[in-house]
Amino acid sequence: MNAHFRGKQDLRPAVQGLSRGELKGHIMPKLNRRTLLKSGVAGLAASTLATPLIAQSRSVRIGSYGGYFENSFKEHVYPEFTKATGIEVESITQPNSSDWLVTLQQAMAAGNIPTDISLFARDTMIKASRIGDLIAPLDLAKISGAGNLDSYFVFEGNDGPQGVGAMSWFSAMVFNPNEVETPASWADFWDSSLFEASLGLGRNYNAGLLDFTAATFFDGSETMMSNDGIVAIIEKVAELKPNVALWWTAESQMEQSMKNGDVVAGMYYLDVANLMALDGFPIKPTFPKEGNLQDYGSWCLTAGSDKADEAAEFMNFSSEPSIQALMSRKIGTAPLVDKSMTDLTDDEFNFVSGAPAIKPAYEAYLDNETFIKESWDKMLAEA
Amino acid sequence: MTVAEDISADPAEPAHRRARVWPVRRMLLATLTTGIVILCVVPFLLVFAISFGRKIDGAAWVWDFTLENYQRFFVGILWPEEVTFLYLQQLGYSFYFAVIASLLAVATALPFTLLLTRLKRSAQAIWLVFIMSSLSLSEVFIVMGWDILLSNNSGLPKLFKETGLTQWLKDVGWFQQLRDWGLANPRNVKFKTSDFATILTMSYLVWPYAVILLYPALSRLDPSLNEAARTMGAGRWTVTRTVTLPSIRLPLFGTTLLLFVFLLGTYVSVTVFAAPNKHTTAVAIYANIRGANLNAPFGATQAIMLLLSASVCLYLGHLFNKRADAR
Repeated sequence: MNAHFRGKQDLRPAVQGLSRGELKGHIMPKLNRRTLLKSGVAGLAASTLATPLIAQSRSVRIGSYGGYFENSFKEHVYPEFTKATGIEVESITQPNSSDWLVTLQQAMAAGNIPTDISLFARDTMIKASRIGDLIAPLDLAKISGAGNLDSYFVFEGNDGPQGVGAMSWFSAMVFNPNEVETPASWADFWDSSLFEASLGLGRNYNAGLLDFTAATFFDGSETMMSNDGIVAIIEKVAELKPNVALWWTAESQMEQSMKNGDVVAGMYYLDVANLMALDGFPIKPTFPKEGNLQDYGSWCLTAGSDKADEAAEFMNFSSEPSIQALMSRKIGTAPLVDKSMTDLTDDEFNFVSGAPAIKPAYEAYLDNETFIKESWDKMLAEA
Repeated sequence: MTVAEDISADPAEPAHRRARVWPVRRMLLATLTTGIVILCVVPFLLVFAISFGRKIDGAAWVWDFTLENYQRFFVGILWPEEVTFLYLQQLGYSFYFAVIASLLAVATALPFTLLLTRLKRSAQAIWLVFIMSSLSLSEVFIVMGWDILLSNNSGLPKLFKETGLTQWLKDVGWFQQLRDWGLANPRNVKFKTSDFATILTMSYLVWPYAVILLYPALSRLDPSLNEAARTMGAGRWTVTRTVTLPSIRLPLFGTTLLLFVFLLGTYVSVTVFAAPNKHTTAVAIYANIRGANLNAPFGATQAIMLLLSASVCLYLGHLFNKRADAR
């Protein structure tokens, strides 16, 4: 696929400067193209040879988070897309959402377009939109499937729609069923008789602990809207510190610590926790009464990409209920369409989703990020 | 090689030949200078320039000329209403870990290297090759290894539990002390996160460097000096204190300083093994530049401050050394 792609790229500059007649002469030596030209324009549309031609000429580069996640896309989702539309997909590895924004920004400043479609979490997408000239407005008329999604999942930037929801994921409460009882509430984590030096929680200020604490002891994201509220929440989190054994930044740290028994409970991604449990590791996700944090990813078109049509077709494709269900089954993400539109069974749905869902306080995280970050770091550093 | 030959051209050569040689030398010099400027000076100037930039909440950062980042480094974002020494504290921990780990590495590498130099030539070579080869392990690898060695189900805590040591500690009541120090949870001892694990890994990381840097000086030590002192009745310890150590003072000091500067920027060991209240400037820099909040200007400011502090240390070391030499 790569070779085809390159070949086409190389051909284009040579072709552009030529008249029609010259073009024919130039391409003549290539056997398959000569055959095609002979068969004429009408034949081109109808002949069986047309499919390989379209497959060759239409492609799109799509970013997703590397590792298991990207591999599942390459194995299960992209082939279906190519089968349905004839558009080849080149998978681009993103480290995650926020680091990719830095990479994208730097690449575009240097005049490169590293991918046609990026996968961004909502806060990063809003940042990308505000920075400007990074993600392009979308033509929703070509993405009719987006109508299947709740309007919340179609992001309206300053210049119009700039992101179509891809899939959603939960940061959930997890615990080691061999060591502790199922906690009923996030408040249990504050109980040192249960969890002294035993929890694994997110190290970053926006990893979700603020949202959990706000939902458990305060008025949720309302409280996050003022500096006083943030300080109060952070003070509450500080009480939790004697119970934390690991403040993780990379997903793999928490995975290892749960496997090794270094921590017996904490917060982790619902999909990965379920997969680990299936592999026999002592981890179980649960929905406490306050709920778990639901974030979601969006497909965004890179500004300046000449693959807007192909990208629109992909976004349309991924918004179909059947594809949303496919991702839930194969990748473990929660669907962005209503469960009734999909053919997911109750078991399959509960594996990837649940209730209640807490929405991250995006506005506070974006508009007040420097203050929140410094206050949070101060709390962790005891400074 | 040919260039070197050209440079050391015989002065008795005819003048016209020398005239042809000079441009080669000058071009080489110019190329090297350009290389250094592009690869070292320009990135540094870029970091310096970015450190005056301004962060826009909810978006990225923009070029500017503001000293706010430097102010924030000393007193925090809310100054003057509120003061925090968070960033100075992080810098302090950078020094704390680097000083202890480099001293520990040199202190343990010194007796080892001394013993090494007394081995047979062939044995020395084998040891040195072995130590050199361990340098090919990256920090990530080493941290991963220690992470496993210190893990509850696969490492030291497991050993504690299986041998009954954990139970014994509980019986004699020392376990509670470990819990107070943060080295145990109610079930077993734990070494992550702890200063112990952080310093251990950092020392381990630079230990081969310590041996390799000390080896030349130690292998040149004249054994007759020691023997003379011993025949004059000095004990083993007195000889080490008054003969061996003074004669290797300079390499010893230089090695410690080099390892210290090297360790100031340690990232992986600190992120994995240090508790968040002891995270260093290096971790904070990364969190600002690559992390979720895209605050490259403040990250650059912290990098400049770390560099400045390291330079001050090197300069003080140099002064100290000169003074000691003069005495």
